Amino acid sequence: MALITVRFYSLWRSYLGIDNTTLQADHIDDALTQLEEKFGYRLREKLETAGIHLDGKIQDYSLILLNGIALRNLKGTTLKEGDVLHIFPPAIGG
Amino acid sequence: MESNTADKDIGRYIAESAESYLAPDGQRLSVISLKTVASISRSKRIPAKEVEITALKQGIIPWRYLRNIGTISLDGQIKLLRSTVAVVGAGGLGGTIIELLARQGVGHLIITDNDCFTERDLNRQIMSRESNLGEYKVTVAAKRAGEINSATTVTTFRERLTGENAQNLLSGAQVVVDGLDNLPSRLAVEQACRQLAIPYVYASIAGFSGQLMTIFPEDVGLPSVYGSSNAIPEQGIETKIGNPPATPAIIAALQVQEVVKIITGIGTPIRNQILLVDTRECAIDRIELGR
Repeated sequence: MALITVRFYSLWRSYLGIDNTTLQADHIDDALTQLEEKFGYRLREKLETAGIHLDGKIQDYSLILLNGIALRNLKGTTLKEGDVLHIFPPAIGG
Repeated sequence: MESNTADKDIGRYIAESAESYLAPDGQRLSVISLKTVASISRSKRIPAKEVEITALKQGIIPWRYLRNIGTISLDGQIKLLRSTVAVVGAGGLGGTIIELLARQGVGHLIITDNDCFTERDLNRQIMSRESNLGEYKVTVAAKRAGEINSATTVTTFRERLTGENAQNLLSGAQVVVDGLDNLPSRLAVEQACRQLAIPYVYASIAGFSGQLMTIFPEDVGLPSVYGSSNAIPEQGIETKIGNPPATPAIIAALQVQEVVKIITGIGTPIRNQILLVDTRECAIDRIELGR
């Protein structure tokens, strides 16, 4: 199992009350499942309290990068020791 | 030959019109007033921008740029006056970007936007006023830029930027600055900038936070953050949490600093990284982007 770091930014960091955490996972899907189990309910609960309703899992309403690359652009989905997942809400306004 | 003679003639005229100013640090500077620049521009029939450039080349500082020069130098101010910057979108980010670029002394602005001001814009779009609701943003922005700096010329396009027209609308610019409010248009701008081989200063906002990145043609850019598939989101969490007034002002100011750095060659633009600014927690983070 690879030990990876997960870093939260922006509103997700505020709502979860943590900067980062670690997970043990071999595959990106394992890591996302663990993230949802650990933080999904808490994040949605905080969002609901703030009047924001978002459907789905964390990965459905977040931007997630693995080592600086969007998950949609990853060539492989196997994790290695020291990998970093960056997670933050999409801010697209101007 | 004739042109050189004319330049020398204007240069001499400017030198004769310059005033002496004792700066607080004891340095004696030659300066020239807005009124004198305007008068020379009228009498010699040359644009105010050219008068200012000719003055700066002789070490004579237009008063209006006095507080710029220590940071960017005479040469940097000349580069800015000679530059063309395209601002895409004249709303929250775009309005402040235009205001600051005109004050900075950018010589030519290309502004693209197809919207009119509405009451919803009054909280954050610096160009909007109760008295100009219903007016086109580009018209208001061009007028405002001209009122701030008569040396700044403005070209406006009252159009929505698309993949089809992006290259035409941005052609001639040295840098493109993002004042957009949706991702498909940003991807169209990024692609056009790559084709035109010019840098693009991307930014977007939501609530108390914003993000920023300068993308040169060879840089990784938006696909590293949003992915390059068709499943990209058009809008983000700002549709739920809105944009309070200070957020676009803060992020637009950072974008303008990027433009100044790119044009003058001073400092280091934020490239191949995304800057995440979270004013709620006073946190600024950078994420290195990969391919």
